[in-house]
Amino acid sequence: MSITVIIPTILRPLTNDQKRISITGYKVSDVINGMEQQYPGIKEKLVSEGNAHRFINIYINDNDIRFCDGLSTHLQDGDVLTILPAVAGG
Amino acid sequence: MMNQPLNDCVIAGPLKNPAPHFAATAFSLLYQSNTLGMKIECHDQHATDDRLSFAFKTPYTSAVISEITGWYDNDQQAVVTENIIQAACGMMSVHGRASGKIQALGLNYVSTLTAALALHGAVAAAIGQLRGLTLSSSRVSMAAAALLSESQYIADATATELPEGLLLDKTAHSAAPPFVSSDGVVFELETLSADPWLKFWTRLGISPALAGKGWTAFLLRYAKAVSPIPSELMHAISKVTYQEISASCSQTGMFICPVRAIDEQVTDEQSKYEWLRGPWTFDSSADVKNIQIKPASSTLPLSGLTVVESCRRIQGPLAGHLLALLGAQVIRIEPPGGDPLRGMPPMSEGCSARFGALNRLKTIREIDIRLPSGQAEVAELVRHADVFLHNWAPNKAAQLNLDYSNFLELNPTLVYAYAAGWSTDENTYSPLHSIPGTDFMVQAYSGVADKISKTCGTQGGSLFTLLDVLGGAIAAQGITIALLNQCMNGVSTKVTSSLLSAATLLCADDFQNQHQAFDIGAASKSVVNGVYVTQQGKIAIECYDHQTTQRLIQALGIAADIEPAKLQQQLCCVLLAKTAEEWVTALQHAQVPAAIVAENLVDLHNNPRLKSILNLNSKSYTQVPSPWSFQ
Repeated sequence: MSITVIIPTILRPLTNDQKRISITGYKVSDVINGMEQQYPGIKEKLVSEGNAHRFINIYINDNDIRFCDGLSTHLQDGDVLTILPAVAGG
Repeated sequence: MMNQPLNDCVIAGPLKNPAPHFAATAFSLLYQSNTLGMKIECHDQHATDDRLSFAFKTPYTSAVISEITGWYDNDQQAVVTENIIQAACGMMSVHGRASGKIQALGLNYVSTLTAALALHGAVAAAIGQLRGLTLSSSRVSMAAAALLSESQYIADATATELPEGLLLDKTAHSAAPPFVSSDGVVFELETLSADPWLKFWTRLGISPALAGKGWTAFLLRYAKAVSPIPSELMHAISKVTYQEISASCSQTGMFICPVRAIDEQVTDEQSKYEWLRGPWTFDSSADVKNIQIKPASSTLPLSGLTVVESCRRIQGPLAGHLLALLGAQVIRIEPPGGDPLRGMPPMSEGCSARFGALNRLKTIREIDIRLPSGQAEVAELVRHADVFLHNWAPNKAAQLNLDYSNFLELNPTLVYAYAAGWSTDENTYSPLHSIPGTDFMVQAYSGVADKISKTCGTQGGSLFTLLDVLGGAIAAQGITIALLNQCMNGVSTKVTSSLLSAATLLCADDFQNQHQAFDIGAASKSVVNGVYVTQQGKIAIECYDHQTTQRLIQALGIAADIEPAKLQQQLCCVLLAKTAEEWVTALQHAQVPAAIVAENLVDLHNNPRLKSILNLNSKSYTQVPSPWSFQ
C-alpha cells in the first residue's frame, strides 16, 4: 500500500523539509516504522509506549486513529496520513 | 496569613464620579483596592470624559499617577465604551465565531481587565521607583487591554504560514458546547485526553468514527473559539437525563459541570467569602530583615528581576509574558524536547505563532521536573530567582517537592506564585479540585457562562478564552503586588490566584448588588447597545445615558419623541442607508460612541487607531505590544 504522509512544520527538519512523503505499509505502525528507517528520529516524536503521543494527532484521511485501532489501524492504498500537533488551552 | 498586602497604600482620585464609560473600570479598581486593604481617597470632583486617573501612593515612594484612556493615542479621544472596544478590536468577532453572530460578550470584560492592568502598572512603577527609576506615571488603554486578551487569536490570524491540515473550515455554527440533557440541564463536558471521550460517547451509542469527529471539533475550542460538534452527538446526549450523563462521566473518566445561574453563585456562602477576600490569597512568611533591593537594569520597572516559570497552556504563560513585558527576565521550564504546543499550527519561523504570542520573550530551559535531578535543577534556578510561578494541578507542587515550603529556606525573599484553576486555597478540600479547572468549566460553574448566555441568547459561555486571559493578568498582578510588599516590608509571599477568582472579579458587580459589602456603586446599564448592519459592514453603537441617546437620535434624523420600544427597530432600518464608515464618522462628530465592527482580525491593521500599534514589522505574525507605558 502506498500511503501519502503529510508532515507538520515542526517535524520537517527531520524529513529534509519535505511536506509530503510516500511510504508503504499495511498499518499505521508500518508507516511510522518505514518513516523511521528513512528519517531516523521521527518515531520518538510520534510514539510513546506503544501509542501515539497525547500531543500528537494522527489522522487517516479525516479520521483520528485513536478512534479507530490506534497504531494498528489498517490502511488502504492511496490513504493520506496526516500528523498534526494537538491544539490545547486552559 | 496576610491577605491585605497594600494596607499602608492609598488610591486617590475621582473614582466614585467617573464618566459613565469608565464606570465599570472604576468599580473594579475600587473593588480590587478594597480587597488589597488600600485606603481609598475619592474626591467629589468629576472625572474628565477622555480618561480616568488615579494616584497610587505608598509610604516609601512618591505618588504614581495612573491614567486610563480609551485608545492608545491620547490625541484621538473619540469616546469609547466597553462594547465599542469589544467591537473595534475584534473581540466580538472571536466571541461570535461559535454562534455565527457578532455580538458583545455581555460582560464588563475589557473594563475589568483594564482596571487590573492599570493597578498593576501603578504598582510596578512604584517598584521601579524603589529600584532607582524615576517613574512618576503609568498609562494603559482599554484598546491595549482588549488586544492583549486577543494576542493569541491575532497571532493565529496573521501568521505567514497558513494553518495546517484538517482544521474544519467547513464549520457549522449550529452545534457547539455547552450540551443540553433531556431534562433541560445545560452543562459543559471536559477531558484532556481522547480515551474518556471515546468511552463516553460509545456508551451513548455513538460510533467511534463519529466520536472521533467530535473529538477533533472539541479540541478546536481553545485555539479557534469554534467547536462544530457533529449534530448526532448533540442529539444523542439530548435524549439522556443529566443524572444519567453524570453517571456515565463518572464511569468513563469524563468531567461534567452544569451551567450555574449567577444568582446561585452570588448567594453561595463560599463564593461570597471568596469575593470578599478578593482575587488573590497572599500568604507571607516571617519578615526578612535587611532585604537588598536590586536596582533596575533598564527603564522598565521589573528589569533585573528573574522569574522562573513552569506553566502550560494560556493562563500561566500569559502571566509570565506580562512580567516579561514589564522587564523581568523570564526563564521558562519546558519538558525535554520542548513544550508540544510549540508545534501547534499555524507556524511562524519554526514555532507556533499562538505559542509565540505568549512566550516569545522568555528564555527556555528543558528540565524533566518528574525526576529528582530535574527538581534539584529547578531548585537551583529558584535559589537565584525573585519569582517562581507555576500552574500545576492541585497538590502537584508538594508531590514534586517544589512547594512554597520547599523554597523558604533556599530563598527567603522569594515570591512564590500559583496560578490555579479553582480555589485560591489549595489546602482546603474542595470537590472542584478533582475536576480540570479549565476556562469553559470555570465559566460554567462561576455564573460567567450564565451571564453571557442571558445577554447573547446562547446557552452557555464564550469559546473565547476570557478567563484564561483575565486569570493570567491577575496572576501577574498578584506577583507584582507581592514584589512591592517584599520591597516595602521585607516579606516573602506565596500568592495564589485562579480562573475562578478571575471569574469572581468579573462578576464582582453582581456580588456587590446582592451583598452591598463595599462602598461602591456598580456601573449602570446602557440605554442603547447593539451591533447593526449597514450598507457596508457592521457598526456597534453604545449610549450609556439619555443625553447620548438623544444625540444619536438627532444625528440619525429619527423623531425625537420616538417610543423607546420602537427605537431598536428604527435604528436597524435607518442605519442601512449608509456604510459603517460613514455612520461612524457622523456619530463620532455627534459624540456618540460608535465603531466599525472588526469582523476579521486581519482587518485590525486597517483601523487607524490600531494600525501604528499593530504594525506587522516582522516576517512572522502580528505581535501585540505591551499594554503599559511609563514616564
